[in-house]
Amino acid sequence: MSCSPYDLRDYLFDELAPAERTDVRAHLAACQSCEAELESLRLTQSALLTIRDEEIPQRIGFVSDKVFEPSPLRRWFSGFWLSASRIGFVSAAMLSAAILTLALRPNVQSVHNNAQPAAQTVAMTQAEIDQRIEAAVDARLTRAVDAAVAKAVSDSEDRAQKRTNEILAASAKHVAAEQAEVKELKAELFYLHSVKNVATVSANYRSPLQ
Amino acid sequence: MIFRAVEDADLIHRARKGDVDAFNLLVSRWDKRVFNYILRLVNSREDALDLCQDTFLKAYQNLKKLEEASRFAPWIFRIAHNEAYSLLRKRRPEVDAGEGLPPDHAKTREYPVELSLAAAAALDRLSADQRETVVLKVYQGFKFEEISEILEIPVSTVKSRLYTALELLKSELAPTARRSFS
Repeated sequence: MSCSPYDLRDYLFDELAPAERTDVRAHLAACQSCEAELESLRLTQSALLTIRDEEIPQRIGFVSDKVFEPSPLRRWFSGFWLSASRIGFVSAAMLSAAILTLALRPNVQSVHNNAQPAAQTVAMTQAEIDQRIEAAVDARLTRAVDAAVAKAVSDSEDRAQKRTNEILAASAKHVAAEQAEVKELKAELFYLHSVKNVATVSANYRSPLQ
Repeated sequence: MIFRAVEDADLIHRARKGDVDAFNLLVSRWDKRVFNYILRLVNSREDALDLCQDTFLKAYQNLKKLEEASRFAPWIFRIAHNEAYSLLRKRRPEVDAGEGLPPDHAKTREYPVELSLAAAAALDRLSADQRETVVLKVYQGFKFEEISEILEIPVSTVKSRLYTALELLKSELAPTARRSFS
């Protein structure tokens, strides 16, 4: 039986206040019986602690449990990223990048031609980019419209010229035919005049014998 | 320990808001202790692992019911205690929980020294209630108030169970330990 002012088991398990611990330490220094009792308790505790904690056979993995499923947004993103849709998405992204690059190309050249620093191009605001894209698209559109109008005019002129040539050719042919007819009429008229003259001469002729 | 308690409280706060990573970190900090506590109650690694899983799952589902984040340790051990005793009641409904169970961990222990075997055997001879107080005090280092909270019994009962068990263990183990350590 211990004669310590406080329970040695409370002292062993650190359940005493600091002042109480001090009192127990002072008592232990003077009481061999209590010192031996405390030693037995410590040996018992040491013996128990030779049984070590075991490692868990496998990790506690709750992430796969239903309650740990990611949010609907995350699930959708994962599903999308692992599906065939991403091919379409990547294709669209590449196409957009190509269009943007193509649209900005003349402007970039212009920037280079003007010997302005490249950093200035990089520092363009979204509004400037939109403005340049719009200008480039407008220029391309104007050029395309101009080319189409010029081609249409040219084709129309060609068709008109061809038609004119055909008309002129037909007219020339017609004139030639008219001229040939006039020529025949003239020859006929000449013949008739000749006949008339012969007749007149014949009518007015008096024989010297008469 | 103070910093650890603060960090645990922060993790609990984040986990309550749905941060799964924070809860997983909390699990990784406590799973070994909870597993070994349950293992010493049920004497089966497979059961201990399943119960440990169930303990943390219930903890996650009921995290908002934890009033004080600083009381997480007694709270999670209370859940583990309930899980273990629920199994023990199913396993041996006619027998006092934990009594008479085969001490398989004593036979398969990785520390087959005389003292370790003697300690395991002495622990198995305790009643389930006595053994649990020893486990919570000696192996888990809880204060009497915390053990009282985990077991939902008065502090006086905790001390009574523990000290009765300690006297039994001392009579069995102290001579062997003295020989081993001398």
